[in-house]
Amino acid sequence: MVVQDLAQLEGFTTQCMGNGSQQIQDAYTGDLLSDVMGNAPAESVLITIQAHKNTVAVASLAGIRALVICNNRSIPSDMLQAAEDEEIAIFTTAETQFEASCRIAAALGRINAGKA
Amino acid sequence: MQVKLDLHNHSCLSPCANDDFTPALLAVEAMEQGIQILALTDHNSSRNLVAFDEACRLCGILPLFGLEVSTVEEVHVLTLFSHLKDALEFGTFIEFLLPDTKNRTDLFGNQLVVDIEGEVIETVDKLLVGSTSLAFSDVVEEALSRDALVIPAHIDRFANSVLANLGFLPDLPYSALEAIHLPVQADTHNLAILTGSDAHSLEQVGRRSCYLDMEQISYEALKKSLANPSAVSYRQ
Repeated sequence: MVVQDLAQLEGFTTQCMGNGSQQIQDAYTGDLLSDVMGNAPAESVLITIQAHKNTVAVASLAGIRALVICNNRSIPSDMLQAAEDEEIAIFTTAETQFEASCRIAAALGRINAGKA
Repeated sequence: MQVKLDLHNHSCLSPCANDDFTPALLAVEAMEQGIQILALTDHNSSRNLVAFDEACRLCGILPLFGLEVSTVEEVHVLTLFSHLKDALEFGTFIEFLLPDTKNRTDLFGNQLVVDIEGEVIETVDKLLVGSTSLAFSDVVEEALSRDALVIPAHIDRFANSVLANLGFLPDLPYSALEAIHLPVQADTHNLAILTGSDAHSLEQVGRRSCYLDMEQISYEALKKSLANPSAVSYRQ
């Protein structure tokens, strides 16, 4: 899957596309940024409710290529600007982190439990 | 007497603050705005408090030597000391408890330690905006045991606040609370609620100062007044 494929997922709204042709190999779900920084895999999409500028910095540090902001949280303008500067995509959805994670797991072909 | 105070401000040591926002400029701007008690509270570090101390003395402001500590739950807590030495010791302890992540200045910004004239003495390599390994209750307890004032920061903010991150205000002996918007829609345990500027640039100094009815301008009098929630007022 590539970044721009996320835009096609049901209920996802594109806030900024980053580099749409970059590969997405994995995903990580978390709201504690210190945990994301330490454990999120590179070339991934982060599913979170942390809609602020620091999330973009942490994503950039961890090699995360896209953010999915859940629960209809709105994106502050400084976050959007940072994401554009760092070429990180942002999508928003009304879904919860669990629902969005399931949707992305299916899109990644990770329909079995865990890493299988 | 009504005393104007602002107990939440950053300096160029915090990566998210402007590089030209030195402790001396903070003190001078606060003096011009009539702020009589001022705190510098950089993220998880006390290294700019030496310059802040000197500047406040010259400006005739009572300084509080602070840190904005990030707990393991990513809650921000203001810890404010009367004595510089105590704050420097606590700052060393807190910095040590941060994860060993190097700052990326292109992502987070510079972390500048400066003297009173704004000359850069050193740059801090360790990322200061990470979270310490201390739990919220441990930060509160540890700072209180060192005779600091302990004030959970911007409790009504959607991120990095006790209400957002923990969901409620644990029953602990805080000195006061800090909020951005009043009134706060939560049980605030009948504590004094202060507003602080959380200034990251010169223009933001004084944007949310507040007033406290105090007998005199001293740390002891501040502590005493904070015990009375109705001593706080917010007039412009």
